[in-house]
Amino acid sequence: MNLPKFEYLRPTSVEEAAQLLKECGPRARLVAGGTDLFPRMKYGLACPEVLVGLKGIPIKAPTLNQNGDLHLDALMSLADVARSPVMAGRAPLLKSAALSVGSNQIRHMGTLGGNLCLENRCPYYNQNHTFQFMEPCFKRGGDRCYLMPKGKKCWAAFSADTAPALISLEALVTIKGPETNRQVPLEKLYTADALKPLDITGHEVVTEVIIPGQRSRQGTAFVKFSLREGLEFAALNVAVVLNVEEDGVSCREARITVGAISAAPMRMFKAEEAVIGQRLSKGLLDQVAQMGAAGVRLCPRLGFSALYLKECLRVQTCRALSLAAQRVSRHKGKKTKQ
Amino acid sequence: MKQRVELSINGDTHELAVEPQTTLLEILRDHLGLTGTKEACGTGECGSCTVLIAGKPILSCLALAMDCQKQPIITIEGLSEGGKLTPVQQAFLDCGAIQCGFCTPGMVLSSTALLEENPSPSEEEIRKALEGHLCRCTGYNKIIEAVKKAAERMANK
Repeated sequence: MNLPKFEYLRPTSVEEAAQLLKECGPRARLVAGGTDLFPRMKYGLACPEVLVGLKGIPIKAPTLNQNGDLHLDALMSLADVARSPVMAGRAPLLKSAALSVGSNQIRHMGTLGGNLCLENRCPYYNQNHTFQFMEPCFKRGGDRCYLMPKGKKCWAAFSADTAPALISLEALVTIKGPETNRQVPLEKLYTADALKPLDITGHEVVTEVIIPGQRSRQGTAFVKFSLREGLEFAALNVAVVLNVEEDGVSCREARITVGAISAAPMRMFKAEEAVIGQRLSKGLLDQVAQMGAAGVRLCPRLGFSALYLKECLRVQTCRALSLAAQRVSRHKGKKTKQ
Repeated sequence: MKQRVELSINGDTHELAVEPQTTLLEILRDHLGLTGTKEACGTGECGSCTVLIAGKPILSCLALAMDCQKQPIITIEGLSEGGKLTPVQQAFLDCGAIQCGFCTPGMVLSSTALLEENPSPSEEEIRKALEGHLCRCTGYNKIIEAVKKAAERMANK
């Protein structure tokens, strides 16, 4: 399968890339690792006339500032994110999320920023449509959704694994344009509109991910459910961060983010509220997971019915919560030993 | 418009004029005749086009030739030295980890990269490193056995 023709520009800095994007206008697209864009270009789903490649830009090493904030270059490959020694200590949640993306080769090629800016996917849209004579869906400029019969909107899901993890970690992203340089919480990057999933203009570049300094007595867990264990986008993924009070059992803060079931990663606010201030026990976590899953509207996909996915969401949320709670108590155990 | 690129493949430098949309896989197979690297899905799902760039396994069907300059590229043809098989290649033969052989070049290269980074991987680590390779003959167990054997032999050397 060959790529369509395009003009290829290789800037040597992010500023230059943003400038080139602005000069070329809507004809141009940004490409970092290419593992998401190139397959879509081969399928004819995207045909940019100009590609601005980021491979020529030097990658900065991760740095920790005085407040304990971890700064990651968005151009770091996912394999480097997973392997970086600082990640195991500071953000094991991001490490396990990065490790669950695609395959080993894809993790070496794909970048953290690219994963955060993944195009929304669905089993109908992401295929070759050359010999397929169905009416186009919303995402291809048509008027229907094949996932949700009689659906009034596009149900393509935002399926990146690192985004829920980073949202649960309260990460910020730096977005640079030719004249702008802004920092926004990662959550705000997503619009929840499957046809335009990212809230950035065509000439802006996500350059950096900042994970704020972590508090002690924290437990995190990332759970991914997909058709196969490797080389597959998530059918759903859950990232949980629990912070506990000094007593080690009462929950002070909770962040539960679910990905790959809707057009943007979704916080389970009700479930979070239900767990804050409570003593972490198995019964409570079961109840919270039930409550979280009950409030979500799901669409059938990948051969799973909506009902099955809902039950699956309950089970996976419960698993992630229990795992995070266990990790808090293990953390506490270590401290008492010292 | 064609542009000049310089690629270092298996220790040799090749100067070529390529279109921007040319992938490394097309260069290897169509321009240089290095057909050991296979093309199957073309969209990064099967791993048969895997090559090593700077020691890391990457998918040559999704890598632009223009992005692969100034880095050493190793394909399956460049692995053995002086006609002598590497321990990984020998272990694949000895364990019968080859059936039709289509996935083998990619599997061997990924295994080589794994053992370079982690000389004594656990079975789980081997499975994780090879998760991006599909073997439609389904001979996965023998492939994993072969990687273990290669690791053992390299440790005993």
